[in-house]
Amino acid sequence: MDVEASDREFTIPVGPQHPALKEPASFLFKVDGEVVVDVEPRLGYNHRGIEKAMEARTYIQDLYLVERICGICSNAHQTLYAMNVEEVAGITIPPRAKYLRTFVHELERIHSHLLWVGVAAHEIGFDTLFYYVWRDREVVLDLLEEISGNRVNYAFNAIGGVRRDVPSEKIPKFQKALDVLAERTKYYHGIAASESTILERASGVGYCSKADMLRLCGVGPHARASGVAKDTRHDHPYLAYDEVPFNVITNDGGDVLANVLVRIGELYESVGICKYVLDHLPDGPIREKYSPLAKIPEGEATNMVEAQRGEDIHYILSKGDNKPYRYKIRAPTMANIPSLMVKLKGGYIADIPIVLAGIDPCFSCTDRMVFVDESKDKVWDMNDEELRRYGIRWYQNGNNK
Amino acid sequence: MSYNDDNKRTVEGLTAAIGAENVIEVKMPKDRRIYVTIKTEKLREAVTYLKEKEGITHLATITGTDLGEERELNYHFNRPNLILTIKVRVPGDKPIVPSITDIINGATLYEREINDLLGVFPEGHPNPKRLNLPEEWPEGVHPLLKKWDIKSLRKEVDGQEWT
Amino acid sequence: MGLVTWARTRSPWLIHFNGAACNACDIEILAALAPRFDVERFGGVLKGTPRHADVLVVSGSISRKLRSRLRRIYEQMPEPKFVVAVGSCASTGGVFQDCYNVLEGVDKVIPVSAYIVGCPPKPEAILDGVVKLLVSAGY
Repeated sequence: MDVEASDREFTIPVGPQHPALKEPASFLFKVDGEVVVDVEPRLGYNHRGIEKAMEARTYIQDLYLVERICGICSNAHQTLYAMNVEEVAGITIPPRAKYLRTFVHELERIHSHLLWVGVAAHEIGFDTLFYYVWRDREVVLDLLEEISGNRVNYAFNAIGGVRRDVPSEKIPKFQKALDVLAERTKYYHGIAASESTILERASGVGYCSKADMLRLCGVGPHARASGVAKDTRHDHPYLAYDEVPFNVITNDGGDVLANVLVRIGELYESVGICKYVLDHLPDGPIREKYSPLAKIPEGEATNMVEAQRGEDIHYILSKGDNKPYRYKIRAPTMANIPSLMVKLKGGYIADIPIVLAGIDPCFSCTDRMVFVDESKDKVWDMNDEELRRYGIRWYQNGNNK
Repeated sequence: MSYNDDNKRTVEGLTAAIGAENVIEVKMPKDRRIYVTIKTEKLREAVTYLKEKEGITHLATITGTDLGEERELNYHFNRPNLILTIKVRVPGDKPIVPSITDIINGATLYEREINDLLGVFPEGHPNPKRLNLPEEWPEGVHPLLKKWDIKSLRKEVDGQEWT
Repeated sequence: MGLVTWARTRSPWLIHFNGAACNACDIEILAALAPRFDVERFGGVLKGTPRHADVLVVSGSISRKLRSRLRRIYEQMPEPKFVVAVGSCASTGGVFQDCYNVLEGVDKVIPVSAYIVGCPPKPEAILDGVVKLLVSAGY
């Protein structure tokens, strides 16, 4: 289709209904026919004011607030928070606590990646796969519920260690559950690599080069899918990652398919790490004493963890009180927004849902997407469900050929 | 560990590049963590040095803190086995900092966030539009400043006390 | 009216709105659709548009920026309509009370028919709440 870009530019605001995991974020798209020419993100729908609220709460109360920054990465944020407070307070956690934190950190990664595979499948119309994956995901959630008492938001960390232990008689059962997960992951790997529906919607779609990814400071599986071998567990080892062997999974594809393959590869790695941790769990106590009313000394700390979506960084500044003077949180998705814009540019409107889903976004989004056709003076909108169906129909009608 | 020597060399190189008189303080509280406080007017030079001579291009985020008279900005850079935080301070009555978005493109959203929440304006930023706060939020009300608490913020934004 | 009759004569079409939630409730709502809990055995179906929906399921503490969106979705739903606030945040603001950008609950914006508390509530609790609401409404 030969069109003059300047004549036929449309501006399409997409959002705040996120087409994938129904989180609020808005995007303004300029399109030329079916092709996206430019994108601008509009964020802030999920801005709650957590950092300010943390300054008004004690360190113990903040443990529970920090967990709810995101319900999917909740343990990652809480672990990082505990690490920061412990560093300033001068607390070293016992080795068993280190391993248990690693175990739950990886279990959460497994649950998140499986969730993502299901959601991504749903976005391209492959609902059967969505249901299969979410059924299998219940295996991980059962494990987490058995360890912590809850499927989501485990309240697993305490300042000084972890709150609950894993009794040794449960370990064989957990090992068996992990083996089931490994086997199911192999099955999904086979589908992802060969199923034509997926390949058509994901291969070559939403491309970002390694150079752009580095320039725009991308993180996590999203960056690793563009060949950037950046993984906080490897580059800045924390918890037990200096003792547990694992591989950093990368893929040079740079597209949505590369995203799928990286996350599936990481599922294998996470299962491996969990099994290793269970086999090598040190004996001993699970937490150091820390009084809820304690004040921690003055000081600052900066730490990072590899959350499910990438490098998560928190900074703490203490002025010697029992409340933080300043606590800064930068969750991984924010670092991926600029490179997401690169992925969307030059793609089709029909690709928007899967590319957005591809970065495994976590900004909490929901809402309608508005399309503006400047040359025709037309404004119309689609919500996330309509855009998802638009994408599926568009490809089924062979428009990409 | 070899990375300790590399990290020390990086700091020495940075100090030499911008001039020792422009480096106010260097803190190394533990392995792999270095905090360098520098004069604000040397920020762009420092970042350029890190990018071009040290290959440090990953900016994880920018933290801003209201210290009362001044506002402190922390630019958290990292590479394997090092988190290098460049600290600058701006006066509370004239909170402007030079933008580094043209040097490190990934800084764009972080500078906008500091502007919204702490009122520190990134001079030279290509698009310093509001990022986090809603459209109806009043101008000039930067919630992370210590002068605001939840009650006074609500009064300011909603025009009334919440029941 | 017995549950079976209800299930035969009515099929609640649900639409989900995420109001600045942390996503914990959202993934439990989605889990309620997934095979283990399966809301479809109650006839419940997740739709994408408010114009076809009976029940608006809202999660999240509702940030200021979303107030008008939520209201618009509610207004687009035809009568009779019900609103279910899922989670402690949607009910009262939950852990985000006293956060400056949060409106602390769905009922600050639109009328709520049922509150399902929990952080997050388990899928069984969500289904229980939705079914109780519909049965009490005479479906």
